[in-house]
Amino acid sequence: MKTKNNTLLYILFVAFFAILLPAGYLAGLLSVNTISVWGRYFCFAIAALGIDLIWGYTGILSMCQAFFFCLGSYGIAMHLLLKKTVASGATLPDFMAWNKIDTLPFFWQPFHSFGWSVVLCLLIPAAFAFIIGLVLFRSRIKGVYMAIITQALTLAMWLIFLRNETNLGGTNGLTDFNSILGYSLSSSSVKLALYLVSLTVLCSAYYCCYRITHSKFGKVLQAIRDSESRVSYTAYKVEDYKLAVFVVAALLAAVGGMLYLPQTGIITPGRMDVKASVEMVMWVALGGRGNLKGAVIGALLVNFLYSICTSLFPDSWLFILGFLFVITVLYFDKGFMGLGDIIRQKFSATRLKTSQTH
Amino acid sequence: MNTSLLRMLMCCLLLLPLFSAGQDSASIYTAQLLQPPADSVRTQAIGRLAALRIPATFPLLMAINDKKLYLLDQQAVTIDSHPSGEGTYRLYTLYPDNTLLTNSSGQPLLLPLSALKTVDIPRADRLQLAGIAPLLNLFSNDPQKRSLAYSQLKHTSDSATLRILKAALAKESNADALRTGKDALYAIQLYNASTTTIAKANIDSIADNWSDNAPVLLRDYAKSGFLNQETAQYAAAKAVGLEKRYDNLQRVQHFFSGLSLGSILVLIALGLSIVYGLAGIINMAHGEFMMIGAYTTYCTQIIFTKALGVPQTDLFFFFALPFSFLVAGSLGWVLERLVIRHLYAKPLESLLATWGVSLILIQTARLLFGDLTAVKTPQLLAGGWQVSPHLTLPYNRLFIIALSMLMVLFTYLMLYRTRLGLQIRSVTQNRQMSACLGIETRRVASITFFIGSGLAGLAGCAITLIGNVVPDMGQTYIVDSFLVVVTGGVGKLAGTILSGLGIGFFTKISESFFQAVYGKVFILVFIMLFMQYKPKGLFPDKGRIAED
Repeated sequence: MKTKNNTLLYILFVAFFAILLPAGYLAGLLSVNTISVWGRYFCFAIAALGIDLIWGYTGILSMCQAFFFCLGSYGIAMHLLLKKTVASGATLPDFMAWNKIDTLPFFWQPFHSFGWSVVLCLLIPAAFAFIIGLVLFRSRIKGVYMAIITQALTLAMWLIFLRNETNLGGTNGLTDFNSILGYSLSSSSVKLALYLVSLTVLCSAYYCCYRITHSKFGKVLQAIRDSESRVSYTAYKVEDYKLAVFVVAALLAAVGGMLYLPQTGIITPGRMDVKASVEMVMWVALGGRGNLKGAVIGALLVNFLYSICTSLFPDSWLFILGFLFVITVLYFDKGFMGLGDIIRQKFSATRLKTSQTH
Repeated sequence: MNTSLLRMLMCCLLLLPLFSAGQDSASIYTAQLLQPPADSVRTQAIGRLAALRIPATFPLLMAINDKKLYLLDQQAVTIDSHPSGEGTYRLYTLYPDNTLLTNSSGQPLLLPLSALKTVDIPRADRLQLAGIAPLLNLFSNDPQKRSLAYSQLKHTSDSATLRILKAALAKESNADALRTGKDALYAIQLYNASTTTIAKANIDSIADNWSDNAPVLLRDYAKSGFLNQETAQYAAAKAVGLEKRYDNLQRVQHFFSGLSLGSILVLIALGLSIVYGLAGIINMAHGEFMMIGAYTTYCTQIIFTKALGVPQTDLFFFFALPFSFLVAGSLGWVLERLVIRHLYAKPLESLLATWGVSLILIQTARLLFGDLTAVKTPQLLAGGWQVSPHLTLPYNRLFIIALSMLMVLFTYLMLYRTRLGLQIRSVTQNRQMSACLGIETRRVASITFFIGSGLAGLAGCAITLIGNVVPDMGQTYIVDSFLVVVTGGVGKLAGTILSGLGIGFFTKISESFFQAVYGKVFILVFIMLFMQYKPKGLFPDKGRIAED
């Protein structure tokens, strides 16, 4: 019954996003911007999968996923900016020239090549996650302490990225790219291609996460969430498991960030401020944590709501979001995905009652 | 000694008739200037006055130069550079004395420009004053302009200028301007000194006067080797001494700002720590209660000035202190009833729910009050305690430190000397056991939440003294205050105080080494390393129950 339900959901999802939306665009019913916007949401959903792995399945509330997301975005942004600069004959990106810098900083050098950029975009967040995780998990920081320290870390990184002397564009971030791998970013076919790539990556990320959570490794993660001390008493190395899943989550966030950048064309430190990092966690909470489908649906739905609400009633978006937060946490512990269960329970309970009275 | 005194006296006697003759001609020229029989007479009068350089006429000449010469009942007056009321200005007489005009009750006379008759002096006439413009500024009503004029005079050596400078200094009333002026005077005397003793005496005077510029001045003198090697070395040594003293004062200043930041953090983290320890609630909306306290202060100010019609009063602030505690506390109590109550001992869930609450509160504040408002600092707390010329401790920061010390004391007494405190501590230690022993844990929790939010509101009220009131002001402090709680150990009063002050000091001290941002990163790394050794904060619970 359950697997059948799932298969139906997958088919519906793929049919809607892989066939219906592009077809709608090709038929001229949808603008290319709509397609691109959904492509962006897919990137968020990829990051949300990582959050679900670490928070929903392992019970570690990490608030620095937004930072890993931005690391991925910044890496690709640096590559695109360098390509554009070289193509226009200049030696330095504009903002560096304005900041009176005459040589390219050393950490920009490897981003000349696309291959290296992609490798570094994955390697740097993974290395960060490894070091942070090593330090935090070794000292058995968990629960709230973990959340606060990772949040403070993101705040510190945000402050660093805001500075001009770190040569990452400061408050304005990196923007104004024209092409990726030689294809113009403004052409609608490239946008459609990016959308499809994002969708494919989302689906494969989902598949990987599904395999992870259903493997023995995944079972250990859930055991850690439910009772960490018991797992460690049964001779599992809890720290290693936590560290591994932290790195995987960071990688997923970075992949999301990498795909996100060419579709929005700008990355600013604002993507990783306190607000953004809590919001990312909220996608998963709203969708239903401990449930991969919930993470994807939560990310898509919240962002969809965001774009609708900010255009219809801009002042009240924060109210809506705030109330959603509170109500979800108070009443729908399992998020949207749990909603069906609750209704079903209520329904069967009333049916039971009526059958008893008869 | 005696002879020199005698000589001076004789000089004065000789000068006296000359001086009074100058005074007489000045009055004649002034009269001609104000009511000229012909334009050429006025031109000539201004030219003569500029050439005579009599300090008493300078206010008048400056008023001409600034195009601010007016007549009030045939008397020449000028106005302040800024209006003192709604388009009204304070007035100053110009000649023979330069004083503030008062009305019959002794208050400064305030008049609009329309009540004055403007005296127009043609541009060509005014241009005659260009040569003595720097000297004129010595007699400006604006202390800053006077300071600037003094510092421009440093390199002149002409004796007439020196005389005018001395005349200006004798009248000087502003402490900063006086210091700059004396600096200029001593510098001129130093460069004109003929013997080592006089030079050294002037160097000493400069060092005692200790203006901002003194070390540079002395170093320049030492480098030029003006008189001889001995004075140069003497000046250099004095400069080094001054700089050392300045560095020490700077250290005191950093210490003080660290203390002030730390006390704000303690004030905020106090409520946070108690609530977290007691109920296992991460209250992300805690910063917003601070914001509510700040807006309560703002509203109190508005009510006092608008509704009660008490325009210039400090009273509002001292009413705002208890108000902000009560308003923020009550809202906290309501929040506890509506939301928090369902989330006890679920810290992560409470973190997310209270984040939602904080979003709602911020947006509400933005809709109600707009983006930026500021509370006027009470007159009583403006300014500062000038410990020495280069060390001023602002009263508002001193007040904040005193306030948080008082609040820490109250919290201590509440926790350790009252029945409620005993109950709070027991619930913090073991909730179920306390419930078994007949403590109403829910009631205790909601009272604690009231107190915690109230403390945040009080912190918000205090922060209006040093910053603007903006809807998302709580967010600036929330992460820092959580770090304080985490480092101090949950629910520990001593830990909170120690870590709050520690983080405050550390921030300010590292800011003096690195830039502010890197200081923050440095602190964070330090805290992470610290947690390696003390994962449960400074003062962890001991015993088996402490293990989760």
